[in-house]
Amino acid sequence: MEDLVQHAIEAASAKGVQYAEARLHIDSGSGVTLTNGKPEPVQLAKAKGIAVRVLVDGALGFASTNDLSKESLDETVDIAYRTAKASKRLVTKPVRLSKEKAEHANWETKAREPLLDVAIEEKLVVLEEIEKNLSPSVVKVDLPSRTLVLIDDISDRYFADTDGSKIHGVASRIGLLFIFTASEPGKGIIQRIGQKGETGGWERLEAWDLPKYVADEAKILGKILREAKQAPRGELDLVLGSEVTGIACHESCGHPQEADRILGREAAQAGESYLKPDMIGHRIGTEAVTVVDDPTVPNSYGFYEYDEEGVRAGRRTLIKNGVIAGFLQNRETAAELGVSSNGAARAVSYDREPIIRMANTFMLPGEYNDEELVEDVSKGVFIKTFMEWNIDDRRYNQRYVGLEAYLIENGQITSTVRNPILEITTPGFYGSVDAVGKTVEYEAATCGKGEPEQGAPVWHGGPPIRLRKVRLGG
Amino acid sequence: MNPKEIVDQAVEYGLKLGAREVAAAVTREKRKMLKFANDSVTIVQSWDQTVPTVYMLSERKRAGARVENPSMDALKEVMKTLKAAMDITKPGEVESSLPKGPFKYEPVPHIFDARIPKMTDELVDLAEEAMKAARAEGARRSSGVLVTSELERQVKTSAGAEGEDKGTDINLSIRAFVDDDSSGQGNSCATRLDDFNPKLAGAEAGKIANQARNPVFGDEGKYRVLFGPSIMAEFLDRVADFATAYSVDLGLSFFADKIGQKVASEKLTLVDDRRMPGGINSCSLDEEGYPTQRTTIIDRGTLKTYLHSSYSVAKYGGALTGSAFYVGGTWGMAPVALNIVVEPGEYSQEKLFEQIGDGLYLTNNWYTRFQNYQTGDFSSICRDGAFEIKNGKIARSVKGLRISDNMPRILQSITALSRERKWIRWWEVPVPVYLPHMIVENVGITRATK
Repeated sequence: MEDLVQHAIEAASAKGVQYAEARLHIDSGSGVTLTNGKPEPVQLAKAKGIAVRVLVDGALGFASTNDLSKESLDETVDIAYRTAKASKRLVTKPVRLSKEKAEHANWETKAREPLLDVAIEEKLVVLEEIEKNLSPSVVKVDLPSRTLVLIDDISDRYFADTDGSKIHGVASRIGLLFIFTASEPGKGIIQRIGQKGETGGWERLEAWDLPKYVADEAKILGKILREAKQAPRGELDLVLGSEVTGIACHESCGHPQEADRILGREAAQAGESYLKPDMIGHRIGTEAVTVVDDPTVPNSYGFYEYDEEGVRAGRRTLIKNGVIAGFLQNRETAAELGVSSNGAARAVSYDREPIIRMANTFMLPGEYNDEELVEDVSKGVFIKTFMEWNIDDRRYNQRYVGLEAYLIENGQITSTVRNPILEITTPGFYGSVDAVGKTVEYEAATCGKGEPEQGAPVWHGGPPIRLRKVRLGG
Repeated sequence: MNPKEIVDQAVEYGLKLGAREVAAAVTREKRKMLKFANDSVTIVQSWDQTVPTVYMLSERKRAGARVENPSMDALKEVMKTLKAAMDITKPGEVESSLPKGPFKYEPVPHIFDARIPKMTDELVDLAEEAMKAARAEGARRSSGVLVTSELERQVKTSAGAEGEDKGTDINLSIRAFVDDDSSGQGNSCATRLDDFNPKLAGAEAGKIANQARNPVFGDEGKYRVLFGPSIMAEFLDRVADFATAYSVDLGLSFFADKIGQKVASEKLTLVDDRRMPGGINSCSLDEEGYPTQRTTIIDRGTLKTYLHSSYSVAKYGGALTGSAFYVGGTWGMAPVALNIVVEPGEYSQEKLFEQIGDGLYLTNNWYTRFQNYQTGDFSSICRDGAFEIKNGKIARSVKGLRISDNMPRILQSITALSRERKWIRWWEVPVPVYLPHMIVENVGITRATK
C-alpha cells in the first residue's frame, strides 16, 4: 500500500503542486438477508483503489482509479493535475489549506472476533434466531413483510500527503437493518425501518441481544395498531425520546454547523446553512442544550482516529449551553475561517473526495430522570420513535412524525397516540428545551451528502428531552 | 485483461465452481465532474473505474458480488466465497432462471458522442457560460455541477446472452441565488453535445431566483399546485422505483397488488423507455443479457406492470422488462428504472398558469420522506422558487413551505400537463426523467410556525 501511495505523492510533487495527498483503500464487505424467513442472495463487495487530490495554484483536482499499475497511477496523478490547472481560470476564491501537524499513525478498531473470521453460515444463524422470535405468537402482531439484513465491512486505508503525514487505519463495522410492515385487521398497517451499527468485531452482537431487541420493536407496532388514538393538536408540552433527540441533533445542529455548507460549497446539492461564519456565540437554544460531535466514542458507528486529511480527530462542541460554540471543519474551511481543522473530513471510499461530515452527534445528558421529565406536564405527548422526517436545505424548518408515541396527562404517560407531527424551526426547537434526561442512547444511521453521494456511517443520539409549549399539528 | 475476457472467464469459472447459471458484467466508466460554488470552481474530479459484477444461481439459491478490482484473481476469489455461501444457504422462495439467449440487440441511436469524454478545458467554458447566463437574469451568485461520463458495459451469461453497450452523457445542474432566500435551479442533460444547453440552464436558474426575491412565509392549506418539472421528477423517480417488483417485495411500495388497477389520473402515462433515441440512460441490454424495451408502467392511470428481473418474474409473474441490473440492496440483481418518461399533455405552459387561477407554482423540492410506503403518506420540502398564483399570474414569492400529502392521492389528482417536456437529472433526481409541467389539485401544504 505504502509504495503505491508514495509513488503517487512523488509523481504529484514532481509536477510542482502546492499540496498532494493520496489514499489507498482495500475494502471488503458482506450482506446476508432474510425476507419473510427466506434467504435472499448472499452478497459480497470488494474494492481496491486509490484517490489522489492535488492543489495547484489555489485549484483543487481529484482523480481516482482502481487500476493500480504504475502507468495508471501516473495517469491518475496527471488528470488530477491537468484538470485542476485547467479550472484555475474560473477559481475566483483560491483554495488554501490550514497548516496542521504532520502525523504518523497506525490505528485500528478493536475486534476481539475479527469479522473476516466469521463464516456466512454463522451470520445466517443470527438472522434465523431473530426470525424465530418474530412469529405472531411471540410478537402478537402479523408482520406480512419483514426483512432482516446483517451487514459488515472492513475498510483498510493508507493515507500520505506532501506535508509529511502517513497514516494507516483499519475500521471494521457491523450492522443490522430491519424493515417491518405490521398489520392488524381493521386497524390498517404501519411500518418501521430500524438500524443498529457499531465498529468492532463479531462480539458486538452479544450486547445487542438481537432476538429480543427486534422482537420488542415488532411488539410495539402491534400495540400502536391496536391501541393508538388520534394525536392531539395545538400548543402543548412534548417529551422526545433519545431517537428523536438524536435525529434532531443530526439534522438541525450537526448539518448546519458543517463549515462547507456555511461557506456555500454544497449549495447546489445538500444546501447551505441558516448560520453565517460570524455566528459563533449566537444563542440558539436554552442553557440546557449542549450538543457535540465526537468521532472517538469507542465502538461507535462513526468512529475514526484520523480523518481523510490526516488530522487527528477529537470531540467538537457544536452548541454549548444553548450558544453556537463551533463548526465542523476541514483544512479548506479552517484556512478560510482562520481556525484549525477539527478533523471532520471523511471519504467513504477510494473514489470519493474528503468532505466535512459528522461522526457521532449527540446531546449531552442533563439531570432529569424519566419520571421527572413528565411529572409536571399536565397535557403533552411523549414521542419515543419516528418514521418520517425532513428539514429544509438551510436546516431551519424541520418535521418529525412520531411512530411510538403516548399521551401525557397530569404527569403520567397514559394512552398510545398515532402519528403526532412536530413541525418546528431550529431556534424554536432548541429554544423550547427546558429539561434534559440523564441517559444517552445512540442510533446508527447512514448520512447522505456530497456529489457523488457519500453515505457515511454515523451515530446520532442523546437523552430524552422536554420541550415546553410547542405546536403539534399536521 | 479487457472486459470481454473478464466476463468470458467469470462465466466459465462460475460454471466450473458448480453454479447452475452465471451472469457477469463489466462496466468501465470514465467521468469528470466540475463543481462550483459562489461563482468559483471548488474542485474538478475525475474517475476511471472498471467494475466487474457477478450473479450466480443454483437450485433456488442466488448470490452476487460487486468487485471494484479488475483483477481476475480477485474476482475468482470472490466467486469461490459466493459459491461456498450458496452451498450452505437454505433454498430461497422460488426457482428462477436467467433469460435464455442468444438475443439480438438493436443499438439505440444518438447515445454516444466521442467529443464528450475528451473535454477538460471546455468544461470550464461551459460552466462559465451557465454562470454568466444566471447573472444576466439577475442572480448574484451560482453553484452547481457539470458532469461528463463515458460508459462501456460488457455482459455475458451462461444462458447464451452476450452483448455490449456504450454511451456518453453530459449533465449540468446550476442553482442561482439573488440572496439566501431567493434561489432557482436550472438543468440541462444530454447524450450529445449538440443537445446540451448550459446557457439555457443558467438563465432558467437565474430567472427563477430573480422572481423569488423578497419571499414571505406562505400559508398552510390545500392548494391547486402547478408543479415544475424538477419537483415532479423527484416524485416520479420514487414512483418508478415503487413500480419495481423489488420495492413491492420489500413492502416499500403502494403498488403492491395493484396491477390492472387505476393508480393515477387518466392524464398520467408513465414509461420507462430504455430505447429512446438520445435517452440519457438508453441502452441495448440489461445485466441479465435481456434486450431493453419501452415499458409502459402506468397507461392513462392504470398500472400495467412492475419493472422486472428474472427472479421477480418467477416470483410475481409477468414478463421481463429488460430492467435487471446489479445494484446491491437485498437482491443484488434487481429491476431498476433507467429512463423515466411522462407522455406530454395538451397545454402550453402559459395555459397551465391560466388554469391554475389561484394556487401555487412550485419549482423544486428536496428531502422527500415517507411515513408509510404502502399507504404513501409523505412530506417533502419546497426548495428554490415557490410562488403564489392569483388569477393565473405570479402574485408573490413564498417560502417555508412543505408538501404534506399522500403520493397515490397526488397521482390521482393530476388534472393537466404541458406539451413541452424536458429532461431532469440532478442530485435529488438520480434517474433521469423526461416530463412536462403538471397541475395537481388539493395539495396539502404545511409549515413550521415556531
